[in-house]
Amino acid sequence: MANKFLSLASAMAAALAFGLAPTDASASETVAIVHAQAWTMADASGGRVDDATIVIRDGRYDSVVAKEPPPPGARVIDAVGRLVTPGLMNADTHLGLVEVSSLEETRDHGVSGGPLGAAFDVQYGLNANSMLLPVALADGLTRAATSPTAASDPAFLGMGAVLRIQPGGSILDRARAAMYASVGGFATKQGGGSRSAQWQLLRNAFDEAKTYAPSKTVPAPRDQLQNSLNIAALHAMLETHMPLAMRVARESDIRQAVALADDYRLPLIVLGGSEAWRCADLLAARKVAVVLDPEADIPWTFDELGARADNAALLAKAGVTIAFSVSGNTIHLSHNAGAAVREGAGLAVANGLSFAEALKALTIHPARMFGIADRYGSMARGLDADLVIWSGDPLEPASAPDLVLVRGEPASQITRQTLLRDRYAPKHAQERWPPAYRP
Amino acid sequence: MKFALLLPALALTLSTAQAGPHGEERGPHSARERGAADATLPWKRNPFPSTYAPLPRQDTLIVDATVLDGAGHRFEHANLLMRDGKIVALSTQAVAAPAGAVTIDAKGRWVTPGIIDVHSHDGDFAAPFTSLDAENSDVSEISDPLTPNVWAEHSITVQDPSFARARAGGVTALQILPGSNNLIGGRSVVLKNVPATTVQAMKFPGAPYGMKLACGENPKYAFGEKGKFPSSRMGNVAGVRAAFLVAAEYRKKWQDYVSGKHGKPPEDDLKEDTLAGVLDGDIRVHWHCYRADDMATLFDVAKEAGFRIDAFHHAVEAYKIPQLFVTNRTCAVVWSDWWGYKMEALDGIRENATFVDAAGACVALHSDSPWLGQRLPLEAAKALAAGRRAGLDIRAEHAIAWVTLNSAKVLGLDAQIGSLEPGKNADAVIWSGDPFSVYTKADQVFIDGALVYDRANPARQPRSDFELGQPSTTKAAKVGGDGK
Repeated sequence: MANKFLSLASAMAAALAFGLAPTDASASETVAIVHAQAWTMADASGGRVDDATIVIRDGRYDSVVAKEPPPPGARVIDAVGRLVTPGLMNADTHLGLVEVSSLEETRDHGVSGGPLGAAFDVQYGLNANSMLLPVALADGLTRAATSPTAASDPAFLGMGAVLRIQPGGSILDRARAAMYASVGGFATKQGGGSRSAQWQLLRNAFDEAKTYAPSKTVPAPRDQLQNSLNIAALHAMLETHMPLAMRVARESDIRQAVALADDYRLPLIVLGGSEAWRCADLLAARKVAVVLDPEADIPWTFDELGARADNAALLAKAGVTIAFSVSGNTIHLSHNAGAAVREGAGLAVANGLSFAEALKALTIHPARMFGIADRYGSMARGLDADLVIWSGDPLEPASAPDLVLVRGEPASQITRQTLLRDRYAPKHAQERWPPAYRP
Repeated sequence: MKFALLLPALALTLSTAQAGPHGEERGPHSARERGAADATLPWKRNPFPSTYAPLPRQDTLIVDATVLDGAGHRFEHANLLMRDGKIVALSTQAVAAPAGAVTIDAKGRWVTPGIIDVHSHDGDFAAPFTSLDAENSDVSEISDPLTPNVWAEHSITVQDPSFARARAGGVTALQILPGSNNLIGGRSVVLKNVPATTVQAMKFPGAPYGMKLACGENPKYAFGEKGKFPSSRMGNVAGVRAAFLVAAEYRKKWQDYVSGKHGKPPEDDLKEDTLAGVLDGDIRVHWHCYRADDMATLFDVAKEAGFRIDAFHHAVEAYKIPQLFVTNRTCAVVWSDWWGYKMEALDGIRENATFVDAAGACVALHSDSPWLGQRLPLEAAKALAAGRRAGLDIRAEHAIAWVTLNSAKVLGLDAQIGSLEPGKNADAVIWSGDPFSVYTKADQVFIDGALVYDRANPARQPRSDFELGQPSTTKAAKVGGDGK
């Protein structure tokens, strides 16, 4: 038996090389990562396997077994005891929909006019060549929910998608992964000035959607507030059990969202949820998931007067499924979607969440929330072998991926930022030719 | 009668203890009216004197800590003595506790100087952010691109809960700046991070004022969009140059008057006062700027006008021109990783701080955010890690200066704060562990020797008036069986 043995260092070097000249992934190749501290996400405590051999066949997980010799012929990567997790998932970003946040021509996550409300669907605007994606991938992010921020209809923001972050090709993993809506705070203005009106309009929209019959040519026998595009989208949402992702922060609005989800039998994800800890038991009982920002500990608006640093810990303790997104003054949301969400998870742990729960909130939890757990989220057999070998504790901001695999293949860690870094490295200080002559 | 006016330059030599709560700091109430008569240059007056008094304190000996002293050293099993609000001793040898001193066992814990945030809007962009603020925020006076006459301290809400959050993150001093919409946004103020009911009671006695300027996108969009000047980068530069031409003339008129050349005092002008203070070197210059080419231009603008730029803030492209920071003795005040939110931030890289540092220039990390302002040591950790990955050999005891001693240099306060050297103010933090770890918390925070925050003692966790009775502190309702 002759294993093609790669040290971690040479695998890293290979990853860099791939960045310059992408190779054809050999579909039939077997890869084995040995001596890994694997966090498989296979059980409630994170599925940790020490000295694990992670076997990948055809880009999918085959097995994770402690102290197992690698299969014959496998390409072997020695993780030298380092921590290995599935690639991470950020549960709320605008990845693929933005380049430079201040430039409207590079921003496709919201519409400010036109007929699209609930029917606004971000999938058609996705840009696989976005310069943000290599940064996210190099930071260990292989999946992300990407969300709409505004539609012309009050309350409804449109439909978001799940991205597969990979070099080249399509990045759309799941379209129409959730229907987004927003109530309260500064969004109230768009609802005519009262959050009551926003909830009423949302309920009315679902009422209209329930009675919508697409085959009928006869118009509905009463006023329709939703136009045909939006009503069809909502009807399809109800038919397919698409989750409703409600961007709400205040306790009263979180409770209204739960009541709405109960009445219309909608799977519910609370986004933001600064005061969610105040109704943790209710959310647990109703199996409502929460995507939260662990940095949000300031009463920044009147909707967030209950903001606390231990929101994540209190929710998890009550049994609520959580996932993370980090705004960082909206700057980290997409541009540092990988690095910031890890740091946020670390802060949640610093404030009482368990390490295993934090890792689950970065992988299997969002995978389940957004309906992609059949292909991503753990190291279960058959799932995409997207994984990261970490230089240290992945929740420490000072750590970084040593190697990222996307379906078993080392991913490039070259980004526009690393190219700038190399061009302006201190070693060039004495060179007389301008930096533009460097690669 | 002789006026006991506090001159910023002079105040640097006064210790906090000497200044006292109502001592030398207090100026005459009618200073402005009587300014001409006392033949003092108007920009040398101090109409809003600090009333800061150290909180009740006890001499404290911290023993057996890992200490990063801010001045580049790391000590294991070290002992730190704080007496009468000053650092008295830092040693790996035994230090005797004076009678009545509290001894804190810091075995396994770390100690650093108090963290300094040189770019904060706590108080002038306060929580809660309301619809009133959305209309007209206190952070920028947007009626004019040139507002050197406004002072950030006059916008500060002392009850902003963000001050307490920053304190729990080890922040003992902050510079609060006006916003960046204006070419010249006004004066900054340096605060001690103590809870207070007036801003004067937070003002760092004797700290030099700063003046905020902004280059690039913000001013040209803020005003150009309204059809006002400036609407371009060249307009930005012209606006600042013109302002300093006028100020130089104003300054000369006043100098001539004070030296007796003219009998009649010139008209006093609040705008020109601040600019004249800059030209005198009394008021420090903090310039919001991102791009290398913009900053290079402004180095020339400053040279032409005759002032020094103390710091470029944000400076995401400082790494492209590190030598200019060295030769101009200007600090690069940066984030670890912000990029991409606007065109001039497109080329931000995580090695920015370390590349500038490697060239020998002064680097400090800032927050510009009440969230980031709670974890500045993590900013240093991230910058350090990026630099190391790029092959630079940087140690933690060096990197901590980016949020302590270098920050003090940015503010012109490195003789008083920023390191744990004997004689300096006893601003210190005991951390639960390595301050560069995400899991570490500030256990105890000292300002001038007073224990202003204690993670283990709710009585030493001050909360602002605004947070009283709010849902962050009240108990959640217990949910009944039906879950509703």
